[in-house]
Amino acid sequence: MDLLVGVPTHNNARTVGETVQGIRVGLLKYFPRERAVILNLDAGSKDSTREVVAAASINDVQRSADLYALRTLPCISMVYGDSPATEVALRTVLAAAELLRAKACAIVSPESTNITPDWMERLLRPVHRDNFDLVTPVYRRHKFDGLLLRNLIYPMTRALYAKRVREPYGVEFAFSGRFCSHLLEMQVWDHDAGGVGTELRMTIAAIAGGFRLYQTFLGTKPHLDRTADLVAAIRQTVGTLFWSAEPNFQYWSGNRGTESVPTSGAEYDLTTEPIRVNRKRLYQLFGSGVGELEPVLKSILSPQTLEEIQAIATLSEENFRYPHELWVKTAYEFASSYHKSVINRDHIIQALAPLYRGKVYTFLVENRDASGEEVEANVEDLCLTFERLKPYLLDLWNAGE
Amino acid sequence: MTLPQDGLWYKDAIIYQVHVRTFRDSNGDGIGDFRGLAEKLDYLQELGITALWLMPFFPSPLRDDGYDIADYRSVHPSYGTLDDFKSFLAAAHERGIRVIVEMVLNHTSDQHPWFQESRSSRDNPRRDWYVWSDTDAKYKGVRIIFLDTETSNWARDPVSKSYYWHRFFSHQPDLNYDNPEVREEMWSVMQFWLEMGVDGFRLDAVPYLIEREGTSCENLPETHAVLKELRSRVDKHFPGRMLLAEANQWPADLRPYFGNGDEFHMAFHFPVMPRMFMSVQLEDRKPIMDILQQTPAIPDQCQWCLFLRNHDELTLEMVTDIERDYMYDTYAGDKAMRLNLGIRRRLAPLLDNDRRRVELMTGMLMSLPGTPIIYYGDEIGMGDNVHLGDRNGVRTPMQWDGGWNAGFSAADPENLYSPLILNPVYGYTAVNVYSQKRSGHSLLAWMKRIISARKSTQVFGRGSIEFLHPANHRVLAYVRQLKNETVLVVNNLSSSAQAVELDLRRYKGNILVEMFGRNIFPRIGELPYLLTMGPYQFFWFRLRRI
Repeated sequence: MDLLVGVPTHNNARTVGETVQGIRVGLLKYFPRERAVILNLDAGSKDSTREVVAAASINDVQRSADLYALRTLPCISMVYGDSPATEVALRTVLAAAELLRAKACAIVSPESTNITPDWMERLLRPVHRDNFDLVTPVYRRHKFDGLLLRNLIYPMTRALYAKRVREPYGVEFAFSGRFCSHLLEMQVWDHDAGGVGTELRMTIAAIAGGFRLYQTFLGTKPHLDRTADLVAAIRQTVGTLFWSAEPNFQYWSGNRGTESVPTSGAEYDLTTEPIRVNRKRLYQLFGSGVGELEPVLKSILSPQTLEEIQAIATLSEENFRYPHELWVKTAYEFASSYHKSVINRDHIIQALAPLYRGKVYTFLVENRDASGEEVEANVEDLCLTFERLKPYLLDLWNAGE
Repeated sequence: MTLPQDGLWYKDAIIYQVHVRTFRDSNGDGIGDFRGLAEKLDYLQELGITALWLMPFFPSPLRDDGYDIADYRSVHPSYGTLDDFKSFLAAAHERGIRVIVEMVLNHTSDQHPWFQESRSSRDNPRRDWYVWSDTDAKYKGVRIIFLDTETSNWARDPVSKSYYWHRFFSHQPDLNYDNPEVREEMWSVMQFWLEMGVDGFRLDAVPYLIEREGTSCENLPETHAVLKELRSRVDKHFPGRMLLAEANQWPADLRPYFGNGDEFHMAFHFPVMPRMFMSVQLEDRKPIMDILQQTPAIPDQCQWCLFLRNHDELTLEMVTDIERDYMYDTYAGDKAMRLNLGIRRRLAPLLDNDRRRVELMTGMLMSLPGTPIIYYGDEIGMGDNVHLGDRNGVRTPMQWDGGWNAGFSAADPENLYSPLILNPVYGYTAVNVYSQKRSGHSLLAWMKRIISARKSTQVFGRGSIEFLHPANHRVLAYVRQLKNETVLVVNNLSSSAQAVELDLRRYKGNILVEMFGRNIFPRIGELPYLLTMGPYQFFWFRLRRI
């Protein structure tokens, strides 16, 4: 095969039909001569997801002047388990890609109803024709969307690994057969990251492995309220980031500064229409968390950092701010403590949640009336602070080694 | 011997297309002739073909290889005399070989006496035998067929100082079929040859007979009316004779040429041919299946004609732009190979001289629904010469042996009507009938066997077709059925070995008998029938209940 497109599903009957059709149109339009296959990996859907996928794939006899299939475009649907497991799904895609000797593979979320045909070109062309190994997405987001990404994952990944990858764990991405084989040989699967942690691990593996990265703009990312899943999200992302730092220490400890990644389309694009955010709740959870988790935080943080956090926790809601430098030190101290397993690692991850809420509150307040450019400047400032304080992380990491 | 004029002989026929000029020169003038062709009838009989389609052999200035006819009732002197033709015809019939003559109805040579009269004066009785206009403004937008050489369908005649219509070369003015005199005369021409004993006509360029303003001037109802009239006359006066349409159109546009069984007996299935080449290159059955599934049903007494190559360029008119680009890129990387909207190469060079692919393509030619046509020389894998101009590179002398002029002619090589193919791969010392007759494993020997297998059953020519849909899209499988006879055909379109599971539950209990070796394959049961196939391999299985 030349191209393989994976669509992992679990009860996505409402949206997956549109996604699969979008993939088909994109492949026919931009890669009419290539041997391609669509692989649906289903986690035991109880709705009609697999039937919808099959229906969207049938009828290869399409004729129009600019959309014609030279070849059969098979769509294979298989069940990989009875509950969603991102890692298992991705490993299955990797195994299939290797078996089929696919030159380029893409993963597309079944909820991407905003998919346009050119997504296939944007994701697969850099791999298939330009020899890149990993293509990560860039989305147009609301300025208050992707907060965990912008306030922690992106800046810290950037500082550690010296590559400015805006979305190191996108739900749409593409990779080369070469990188696929590398991943299958690695021990990346030892750590049970779950969820998007798997994608983050892939991005880190690509950077540390010296593979060629590319970013591609895929348009608007629908805003989704994930506040209820915050701890799970932190576990998947921050947990993965912290865990990955250990096997890749030699890589990230030796580099300084950061470099951009080749990108097609916008590197970022923000929308600013009003949305409702419960800032007060964030402030309250920060304060209560600092108080209730003091014994835990004492094990994780340095006395000075803890003291500073406790000091800002006494501020009124309108005066409360979590400065960049304090936040970066917080993150680095958590990372170091995770590395040293000062307490149970999962407890360390969970303890970050209230502090993160405080940082998010600050971000929301400071950017309430900000334009897209101003928000981006704020994020860039945070990134530079992460980079500037990287030696602090190294000192923490190496202390007592 | 007069061959029995049973109604549907053309459905069981194996047709061999040849230009008399190319086959064998009997008098040493460097040009093939009818006496030479007659000498080679034993070869053709041994090959197993049952009908000959002769390209135009009429008197002509030969500016379009004889498709520019200057006299419809004679034989070009280079090819012999009318008596020579009659002798050849009788000899062919004695061997059970029917003869189909090519008849160009749409146009004549500008050297034809009819045109010479027509152009001489506006008052000439034959003035209206051609399509004249004072301007070139009529029939705007009608496509030009010979794109590489023509810029208009009108040509200005300096003699009559007006324009005449020509859908092909400018030296081939179109006859005016709105004129009943023209229709009567062309029927008279056909009658002349039918009375002599020819078994049918391949009617060239039939879609273009009639013009009407505001149309594409193709496939018009009035054109079909003309053709139906000809057919009814053939049926009335010469029952059992056959009319074959050359109409390079999409299947849906071809369907009207069969009428209700009252127009043509046969028509070329142009669109399937490039798709066979595509499928083999893509290693995917989709192009073939798509076009055949779009092919409309035709009257029971009618028949498609299938071919891989012929005297023209491999036409890419009836494909999409994407398909055309793909064909050019994969089969005609050298732009010298491209002509008009096609590729001027022979079968073996197109398939990179890969014997397995030649066999696979021939196997599909012989087993898909229709009457197969073999282009002369393809049975031994002849090559081509794209540098000979126009389509002459696929019309070089037949290669009989490795000796003087490939055994084609005793003339000096410089006097041959065309140079021979000389290169070490396809040259006549490497590829020739004599060498291949000495080996039981040559392409020629294999062609005889597959023709024999084809003729062993009427199912290929007359049976239905049902496609199977195995998950492996590199395998094209179908079932041919006629009354109690069932044949399963499985083709591996891929350059690598393939496994395929076929759902044959409908035929449970049958055993498969492979038709070439007559060996028995396992009985069909409930489970999918597993076959493993080598690169480009194909199977023909008879189903038998024992």
